[in-house]
Amino acid sequence: MTRRLQTEILVIGGGATGVGIAWDAALRGFDVILVEKRDLTHGTTGRYHGLLHSGGRYVVKDPQSARECIAENRILRRTHPHCIEDTGGFFVVTPEDEGEYPDRFVQACAETGVPCEEIALREAFRREPLLNRRISRVFEVPDGAADSFLATHVTAQAARQAGARILTYHEVTGLLLRGPEGAREVVGARVEDLAGGETLEIHATMTINATGAWAGQIARMAGLTVEVIPGKGVMVAMNHRLVNTVINRCKMPADGDILVPIHTVSVIGTTDVRVPDPEHYGIEPWEVALMLAEGDKLVPGLSRARAVRAWAGVRPLYQEGYTGASREATRQFTLLDHARRDGVQGLLTIIGGKWTTFRLMAEKTVDKACEYLGTRQPCQTATTQVPGAEQGHYWLGHRLHEVEEHELHGDLVCECELVTRAMLENAVYRNPTLTLDDLRRDLRLGMGPCQGGFCTYRAVGILHEMRERAGEAGGEVDRSDWEVAYMQSPAHNRSLPPPSSLPLALSSPNLLLRDFLQERWKGVRPILWGRQLKQEMLDSLIYLSLMNVDHLPDAGLTSPMTAFYEQDAGDVGETEAGV
Amino acid sequence: MREIPDLLVIGAGLSGLMAAYEAAEAGLRVKVIAKGLGSMHWSAGTVDVLGYAAGDKAVSMPLQELEGLQAVAPHHPYVVAGAEAVTEALSRFVALAKELGLPYEGAEEPGRNLWLPSPVGAARPVYLAPQGQRYGDLALAEPIVVVGFEGLRDFYPWVIAENLRKQGHRARGTVLPFALLSERRDANTVQLAQELDELKRVVTLARALKEVVEPGERVGLPALVGLDRHGRAMEVLQEELGTRVFEIPTLPPSVPGMRLYRALRSDLEGRGVEVEIGMEAVGYEAKEENGGFRRLLWVETATSARPLKHRARAFLLATGGLLGGGFDSNHEGRVWERVFDLPLAMPQNREDWFRPKFLDPAGHPVFQGGVSVDREFRPVSPEGKRLFANLWAAGNGLRDCDGIRERSREGIAIVTGIAAARSILVALRREKHVH
Repeated sequence: MTRRLQTEILVIGGGATGVGIAWDAALRGFDVILVEKRDLTHGTTGRYHGLLHSGGRYVVKDPQSARECIAENRILRRTHPHCIEDTGGFFVVTPEDEGEYPDRFVQACAETGVPCEEIALREAFRREPLLNRRISRVFEVPDGAADSFLATHVTAQAARQAGARILTYHEVTGLLLRGPEGAREVVGARVEDLAGGETLEIHATMTINATGAWAGQIARMAGLTVEVIPGKGVMVAMNHRLVNTVINRCKMPADGDILVPIHTVSVIGTTDVRVPDPEHYGIEPWEVALMLAEGDKLVPGLSRARAVRAWAGVRPLYQEGYTGASREATRQFTLLDHARRDGVQGLLTIIGGKWTTFRLMAEKTVDKACEYLGTRQPCQTATTQVPGAEQGHYWLGHRLHEVEEHELHGDLVCECELVTRAMLENAVYRNPTLTLDDLRRDLRLGMGPCQGGFCTYRAVGILHEMRERAGEAGGEVDRSDWEVAYMQSPAHNRSLPPPSSLPLALSSPNLLLRDFLQERWKGVRPILWGRQLKQEMLDSLIYLSLMNVDHLPDAGLTSPMTAFYEQDAGDVGETEAGV
Repeated sequence: MREIPDLLVIGAGLSGLMAAYEAAEAGLRVKVIAKGLGSMHWSAGTVDVLGYAAGDKAVSMPLQELEGLQAVAPHHPYVVAGAEAVTEALSRFVALAKELGLPYEGAEEPGRNLWLPSPVGAARPVYLAPQGQRYGDLALAEPIVVVGFEGLRDFYPWVIAENLRKQGHRARGTVLPFALLSERRDANTVQLAQELDELKRVVTLARALKEVVEPGERVGLPALVGLDRHGRAMEVLQEELGTRVFEIPTLPPSVPGMRLYRALRSDLEGRGVEVEIGMEAVGYEAKEENGGFRRLLWVETATSARPLKHRARAFLLATGGLLGGGFDSNHEGRVWERVFDLPLAMPQNREDWFRPKFLDPAGHPVFQGGVSVDREFRPVSPEGKRLFANLWAAGNGLRDCDGIRERSREGIAIVTGIAAARSILVALRREKHVH
């Protein structure tokens, strides 16, 4: 049975850009449906280091990007303050970076309007005592750290409040085409509901391809060629905050030249390697080694600190006709109007750019859609706050403060990241939870030093218990007062009686366990040595020796994510994938 | 000046303590130093000897597998010790545990593995179970009621029961109020176990259990039924309920593991064995001796800002491997033994450390390497040459075993601890005879 839905705008892709488009279009009064094949932020949005650009990084190389970044930086601080930590940023001149670049940098900042002030070394070292003492100059810029998971979720919430429908775990399997070649028109998409097993036909006046690194695959469904340059970036999360300010090298952007303090960790990034496929790529040992070696130049001793995780994201770079290295490709975004470009009506592709400019990309895209659909209202996203903005900027101590203030120690499920049982329960009520990885993105479950050693079991036990007790209380409790914007707040979440039914699409505790253990393994494997290796062995002791998880029933069950977790993305040189 | 001990044991895990016991029993002066408490505090508190053989084959008679082990892992500690020593060491442990008032039992049919419910309801292969876990035996026919406590974050009765049912057992789950255990909401399992050392609380719990247990059911509880008065608490519960009661291990910290550790340690101290925790061995001194190998003079620790020399006639390294902290490793792919820098049979290249799947039945090579020893449990070079005249090694830091994967951690600890101690006894006696 195929269900048919009708909408004005169909957005494909649940990353920052797609969700931003849904929000923008819904605010302008359009009927909007967004489909995402996994959970929100599964793609590149959920796999970057979390930098809110000041623009400083691009002032010399890509001044247009720099101008966009600083403008958007100022807007997002107003619209999404609780998703941003106001860390500030330093551009530092290490002995390797001397020469003419620093002076060019200062001048280019002035030209592009990126606020930049040289500060005394003594002041810089007072604020960041672990910085390399051989640094000779320090410039301060308004960089920040952004929680791209939370930002996407609250933007989606804002879109829903404006009437948009957001469908996660809905994968596009084909575009609906009409008309003969030469006068072709895209009129929607065929979509598989991976959780519910249903097939949908979503008919739309305008379809927007906001799938980032996957944009070429969607375009191909309409017979179009969009050459994305997938630039893989590897990042390594170091345990603790080695710095509290974003640290950039003052030189042309290169590998391993940025250290971003975000939540409980510091992320060193990144590499930039062109890969053939956004879905299949490994983390090579040389990439991890390079991150550590470069990190030592910013914070000496970084390579000997404890690394908790490595991951890679794929930049959706786009440059018409470009064939060079991905590091040199432009960071600007491109909007492809396929009616003009290819003579195919009803389809726009938005590609390139970066998280910091997602709102602007959405605005330009919806402006273009308006040319075809007729303008309703001007863009409002630059002046509209998303839910939860009243919390002000994020600050690191907020969870601990709330746990202590409300004496919630006994309710902690994840002691590393201070996740309470009620936070977990409420996140599950909110939308389909296919894997614990979904809850990780919402709550930071399993992201701390033990990498799920303790909370995986607890979360599985709690989810199973919720299913077991659903309907027990009889009456339905009103859960509408619970807000996505407060999902990370221990104090704002309270345990509610079990509901009559759960939106749990997948309920085998054994599959949840296996999936999450493998998902965590994939990202720790490239950085397992020293204390983290010892930790991993304790986790093995818990899940093999104590629990015997590898001999549980339902061994054959898989989720839509199982293959992805098992795919050898954490590869350190082996070629046994699939064995 | 104090007398120099005959044996210095480095490491206070199960292998170190078993070796200390064996040596002290035979009349040696023994001292134990350790950085921390050993991994008993993390384990289920059972004695697992061999649960899965090569190819992930479930093992029902562990001692009968030893021959097969020889073919696939010729340096496995059980193979080094020999079948007879394995059997004897396990009997020795059973006798000792009984003496300690913490009896361990095997299956009805001697030599067979027990299958006990894990904290997610999988069947764990266990050779010897503490009495408190014995009645979890899945070969028994009585239906099981798994009883948890509302909000206890380390124990989930329904998931255990559901998985047991999926494996053909009759089981159900239920919960009791947390307040029966403690007024403190943030108490961990060890603190809760201490609460149940109080008789009044056990009686109250028994009364509450009566309300939820159906006739004919045996009762599975989280392993927190008393710490120091565990035996009494279990007796009271079984008497009041008139049915079998058993514990299911929980996430660490492990109460059953701690019971064993505390019983062993206090027994050793009763025998005059000094056990010093917080003493991390950081170096050693040795002198060249005739015959080409070196004799250890002392092991050095660095505690409270000053070096301390620990002299002894014989030294036993029982610091464990990567888990116990006996080995360290770095991002360049080097793994090393931390006190003597003993050569390790171990892939020294990170690309060869792991397999892509966390639960790969073949395990991960880095967890399988370790110290090479000869038949007397003395560390040897890759060429098989003895390295020190008076150093022995025991426990899960030995090569060619994967205690976690095989479910053999405690078996390896007990067997090698006792075997090494015996070898030390023979050597010291021989020395006395010569001098």
